[in-house]
Amino acid sequence: MSVAYARQEEWSIPQLYHLPAAKLDPFLNKLKENYTLIGPVVKGKEFVFAPLSDPGELSLHYQTTLLPPKKVLHLPFEVLFSFHEDQQIIETAQEQQQQIIFGIHPCDVHAIAILDKAYTAEYPDPYYIAKRRNTLLVALNCSEPGENCFCQSLGTGPELKDGYDLLLTDLGNGYLLEVGSPRGRELVQVMDLAPAPRVAMVEKQKVLDNARRKFQKKLNTQDLPGILEENFRQPIWEELMHECLACGSCTMVCPTCFCYNVVDKIDLNLKSGKRQREWDSCMLLEYAQVALGHNFRKDRDARVKQRIYHKLVYYEPQFGTLGCVGCGRCIHTCVKKIDITDVISRLRGE
Amino acid sequence: MSKPRVAVYKMSSCAGCQLEIINLEPILLDLLGAVDLSYFVMARRENEPGPYDIGLVEGAITCGEEIERLKKARQECHLLVALGSCACYGGLPSIKNWQPQRVVENRVYDNLAAIHSTTAYGIDYYVPVDAYLKGCPVSREELLDFIKSTLLGVRPYLRPHSVCVECKLHENVCLFVTEKAICLGPVTTAGCGALCPSRGKPCDGCRGPANDANAVSLARTMAAYGLHSQDIVRYFRKFAGMTSEFSKGAEAV
Repeated sequence: MSVAYARQEEWSIPQLYHLPAAKLDPFLNKLKENYTLIGPVVKGKEFVFAPLSDPGELSLHYQTTLLPPKKVLHLPFEVLFSFHEDQQIIETAQEQQQQIIFGIHPCDVHAIAILDKAYTAEYPDPYYIAKRRNTLLVALNCSEPGENCFCQSLGTGPELKDGYDLLLTDLGNGYLLEVGSPRGRELVQVMDLAPAPRVAMVEKQKVLDNARRKFQKKLNTQDLPGILEENFRQPIWEELMHECLACGSCTMVCPTCFCYNVVDKIDLNLKSGKRQREWDSCMLLEYAQVALGHNFRKDRDARVKQRIYHKLVYYEPQFGTLGCVGCGRCIHTCVKKIDITDVISRLRGE
Repeated sequence: MSKPRVAVYKMSSCAGCQLEIINLEPILLDLLGAVDLSYFVMARRENEPGPYDIGLVEGAITCGEEIERLKKARQECHLLVALGSCACYGGLPSIKNWQPQRVVENRVYDNLAAIHSTTAYGIDYYVPVDAYLKGCPVSREELLDFIKSTLLGVRPYLRPHSVCVECKLHENVCLFVTEKAICLGPVTTAGCGALCPSRGKPCDGCRGPANDANAVSLARTMAAYGLHSQDIVRYFRKFAGMTSEFSKGAEAV
């Protein structure tokens, strides 16, 4: 089964609306009547995606969030089912409430498209699919890329082309609102919005052109698999082995990482318990350990390489796309400031 | 079938880890439904003699008398567990290990005639140990998980990786990266639920080195953050300075 998403081209005329800044809160309040709204909110000096109890909490001028919005589709901790000695298994009831991820950036929309492939194709994941079906994406084109962003190099931003239900672009005095799916059209109908003038599309391109000039990082994708395969044994990997703390943060914040570990939590009566899963990471030593203790990636450099090769080489044959969307979270979170774009440019001899 | 018998031993320690067993209060009766706390001097007036199925040893070994008691504990317990960081690595008592014994003793005691302290070690310096429950104090949840898994005969899930993993799972603002605070989370074993960072306090490293701790690299970053080399030494020697990983960190800069 797959989560089918209408592509923009299937819509004869893209439907454009103007959402004045003053109408954003009323729009959110309308949506809240039927949906759980999840959007970027302030947490300390950072931003996180969180359910909005009040539209005023929404901070659309965010650059990135600590965890990607993946966390509402594939939960960091999730109880899959509970069990009892007499072989009863009680599946966790799936939330039926429809939810909207509001203000999701293009990179994260692309990441969800990758997760859709990983979790709905060869081995359908009922937990992910149940949440994904009930989730709508109201995306926001990027007008202020962050210092670690490099989506432009990967074609995953700052402009979103498809994969959304609604798409916002901040034009200063309000938002250009584009409809991307039948479900998206239903969302717009809750408000009485004026169509956007055609010139709004020109203004949108100005905003995006301005954003494109602000990128500080880039990752040259030309013949990337070839470059990496040629450089499997390079002094840089040994250098990174000594640098890397193997703390796992880079993978924990990655929007396309989909690995998880499954753990049983037994009750003290020793007769019942819960099976739960939580995010796992190939950067951790125990990840590749098998029965009798052998570990396929005992050395830290093997794990550093695995992360980078998986994202930039191994995803392509599996999912038809790179595994990196250029969100920059792994760079931001790294205590040692290990930078995937820097690793690639050094391998290229730049 | 009789319930498995558990013994709790105290060596050089503050008794905080034993207290965590008593702090299981809301479920203590359920726990007692699963095991007999046969020897637990802190909690029982009368204690039963061994042998025991599980022995929980709290505290570092800092004198000859404790070595004797530890060896006896090893003999009378089927499984011997290091309860808390003192028993795992020497813990806080091990901060004395970098000064001559007499100098340290002099600071604490007036009359040294009866004092014969030794270097503070974790219990595995003297006897084989079956499991390590880290932390200062030990995590109640991990302790329970360990007991339940042991009773079922399965391997307990004790997180071996860094505190950063749990910090990220809880989506904490990174104290190291965002707040520019010194935090030992990247090299410290998780399992505490990122207790301190979740409350805005940097990790102190009380649970000792994670399974692939790179303390040398972290020490360099601590120095780059402006920390004096002597402070870096103090960070790494606070709880687990006797481990090879943290001693490398202490000596890196």
